[in-house]
Amino acid sequence: MDARENKTQVVINMKGDRKYIWIFLLPTAAFLSIFLYYPFFKSLYFSFYRTKGFFDKKFIGWDNYDRLISDKLLGAATLHTLEIMLYVLVFQVGIALVLAVMVDNISKFKSFFRAVFFFPVVISGTAISLLFVLFYNYNFGLLNNVMVNLGLEKVLWLSETNALKAIAVPTVWHYVGFYFVLFVTAMSKIPEDYYDAAKLEGITGFKKMIKLTIPLILSDIKVVITLAITGTMKVFDFVWVISRAQNGTDVLGTYMYKKAMVDQNFGYGSTVAIYMVILGVVIALLANRLLKSEEITY
Amino acid sequence: MKKSSLLLLSMLVVFTMFLAACGSKTEDKNAAPETPKTETETPKETEAPKKDVSLRVFSTFGGTDSAREAFQAALDEFTAKNPNVKINNDTMSANDDGFRTKVNTDMTSGNEPDLLFYFVGADAQGFVDAGKVVPLNDILDANADWKAGFAPAALENTRQKDGNIYAAPLTGFYEGLFVNKKIFADNNLELPTDWDKMKTAVQTLSKKGIIPLAAPFDQSHYVIEHFILSAAGDKGHNAGLADGIDPNWEKGYAAMKELYDLGAFPKDAATIDLSMASNYFGEGKAAMILEGSWAMGNWKDAAVIDNTTVLPFPAMPGGVGTGKDVIGGFGSGFYLSKSTFDNADKKDTAIELLKNMTSPAVIEKIAIANGGTPAAAGVEIKGANQTATDGFAMAANATSVNNPIDTMVSPETFSTLRAGVQSVVTGKKAPADVLKEAKAIEDANKK
Repeated sequence: MDARENKTQVVINMKGDRKYIWIFLLPTAAFLSIFLYYPFFKSLYFSFYRTKGFFDKKFIGWDNYDRLISDKLLGAATLHTLEIMLYVLVFQVGIALVLAVMVDNISKFKSFFRAVFFFPVVISGTAISLLFVLFYNYNFGLLNNVMVNLGLEKVLWLSETNALKAIAVPTVWHYVGFYFVLFVTAMSKIPEDYYDAAKLEGITGFKKMIKLTIPLILSDIKVVITLAITGTMKVFDFVWVISRAQNGTDVLGTYMYKKAMVDQNFGYGSTVAIYMVILGVVIALLANRLLKSEEITY
Repeated sequence: MKKSSLLLLSMLVVFTMFLAACGSKTEDKNAAPETPKTETETPKETEAPKKDVSLRVFSTFGGTDSAREAFQAALDEFTAKNPNVKINNDTMSANDDGFRTKVNTDMTSGNEPDLLFYFVGADAQGFVDAGKVVPLNDILDANADWKAGFAPAALENTRQKDGNIYAAPLTGFYEGLFVNKKIFADNNLELPTDWDKMKTAVQTLSKKGIIPLAAPFDQSHYVIEHFILSAAGDKGHNAGLADGIDPNWEKGYAAMKELYDLGAFPKDAATIDLSMASNYFGEGKAAMILEGSWAMGNWKDAAVIDNTTVLPFPAMPGGVGTGKDVIGGFGSGFYLSKSTFDNADKKDTAIELLKNMTSPAVIEKIAIANGGTPAAAGVEIKGANQTATDGFAMAANATSVNNPIDTMVSPETFSTLRAGVQSVVTGKKAPADVLKEAKAIEDANKK
C-alpha cells in the first residue's frame, strides 16, 4: 500500500469519527457556553449599562469604561493583585520545586510526603482563611499570644504595611502542594538512563538538580507558572475573610465583588470583570512569550 | 454533512431535555413549582385529591440567629395543624450581604419564595416596583382581626414609598450604645450619657488597654448611623444625600476622628468584621459597642450580659441631635410573592401561613427570642434580661425613632460612606471630601 492511499484511508476514517468527536465534545461545549461564554458576553453587555439593583438599568455607552480608567481604587487593586502574583511565583512555585526535588531524592516515605504536602489543597480556602484570622487576630490571636508569652510586644499583623504579605502566606501555602505534585509527577517521568549516565559522569546533588532535573521538566514549570498566574487573578476568599479587603489588600476579585454584589452596581462590576479577563489574558500571553523554549522529548 | 448536523441537533435537544429535567427537579426541591411543566415524577403535586401544598419561606432566621428555633417552631406548629402543607424553611445568615444577593436573584429569575422575610425601604424598592410582591392592604382589610393584631405604628413603619404596605412586620429593632457597666464601674467612670463623659471614658479606657468602642471600619453601618444622627439630628439623618449634603454630616465624621484620636477604636478596627467586634464586647474586652437589639443573643457570658445596659448615642457639641434619638423601627417583614398570589392552589394556604406567622402569639415568641420590639398590639414583653428591658425603655423614651441610613441612600453610596470612615479617622481624607464623593455616587445612581 503506498503512502498516499494510506493517507486517504485515514481521512475517511476521520470522517467517520467526526460525529463521535462532536457527540463527545457537545456536553462540554454546552456546559462551557452556558456557564462561561454566556455569562462573559452578558457581562460585556452589562458593562455598557448603569444598573440600579437588579431591576433597573440604563444604557450609558462608554461611561463605565471612562470610570475604569480614572478609578484609583481599581489601580490599587491591580497593584495588589500583581504583588500577590509575585509572591506566588517566587514562593509558591519555588517552594513546590524545592520540595519536589527533595522528595524525588529520597527513597522511603515518598507517598507519605506527597499526601502531607498535598493536604492543604483539599481544604477550602475559606476554612484556611478562618484559621489565619485566628492566627493573626490582634487581641487574642495565636501569634500574639506566643509573642506575649515570650515577653514581646503585641504586633498588629494586619497593619497597612503588613496585611497583604500576611494574606500572601496562606495563599502561597494553600496551593504549594498542588504544584509540588505536578513537579514530582514530571520528575518521575524522566527516564532513569539520564541519571545513570550522570552518575557515571560523577554528577550528583545540587548540580544534578540544576543541570539535569530542572531543564528536563522545564515545560512543566512553564505550565505551573501559567497556572499560578491565572490562579492569582482569582484570589478572593483569603482577602475577603482575613482582612475584608481593607488596609491595602483589595485585589481585583474582591473589588469586583464589592462593586457588583455589595454596591449592587452590576454595570460597573461587569466592567471590572471584563478588565480582569483582558488583564489576565495579557499577562498569561506575556508569560508564555517570555518562557518560550524548545520542547524536550525524552 | 446533513446527517451530522441532524445528529448534532438531536443531541442538542436531548441535552436541553436533560438540562430541563435537572432544572425542574431542583425547583421541586427549592421553590415548589408553580406548574410542573415537564413530565417528571411529580404527579402527586399536580392533581392530589387532598391538595398537598408545599411552600417555601425564605428568611434570615438561620445560622446563629437567636430566633431561629422560635421561628422553626412556629412553622412546625402550622404544619402540625395543616398536615397537607409542606414548608421548606429556606434560610441564610444575615451576617454578610450574601442573602441580599440571594433574595434579589431569586426575585428576578422567577424563583420567588412564597413568603419572603426581608427588609422594607430601599432594599425592597426594586422588586416592589417590578411587581414581584403583592400589596397587603386589601388582604389586611379583608381580615380585620389579623390587622387588629398589629400595632398600628409597626404596620405604618413598613409602608413603601408608593403608600402601600407590602410587608407584614414581625419584630422591630433598635440600635444603641451597649455599655459594659462593670468595666465603667471598675475604672471609676460615669456612663457615657454626654459627649464629655464619652471622651473621658475613651481616654481612660484606652490608656488601660481596654478597647473603648468595639467598632469595625469596614462594616461601620452602626457607627455611621449613630454619629450622623447625633450630629445632624433626626431630620438631617433622614434626609439622606438626595437633596444636597447636610453640613452637619461633616461634624459626624469629624467626631469619629476625634474619638479615634483618643484611642476609641480597636487597634485592628480596619480588618475585623462586625462579628469579631461583637466578640470583643461579648468577651468583656471592649467597654462599648454600637449594635442592634439582635446582637444581645450572642453575648452569652453572664459577666457581660448581666452588666450590660443600652443607651442612646450621646449628642455631640455643635450637633443638632437631642441625645435621645434612636435608630430603630420595623425594618423588615413578610412579603407575599405575586406568583403565589396568582396561583389558586397556593394562595389561600400562603395567606393563612402569613397570618399565622404574624399572629400576636408568634410575634411574642420571636420577640422574646431576639429581643426585638413586638409588632403586635398589646403584647408587652419584659425582655429576656435587664439589657433588653433597658432597650425597650430607651426606645420608648426616644425623641425620634429613625430608620437606618442605608434605607435612605443607594447601596453604592453607603459603601462609599463606609469606606470613608477609615480614610477620615486616619486623616487621609477630610470629612467634606468623603461626603462629596458619596454625593457624586448618589447622583450618578439617580440618572
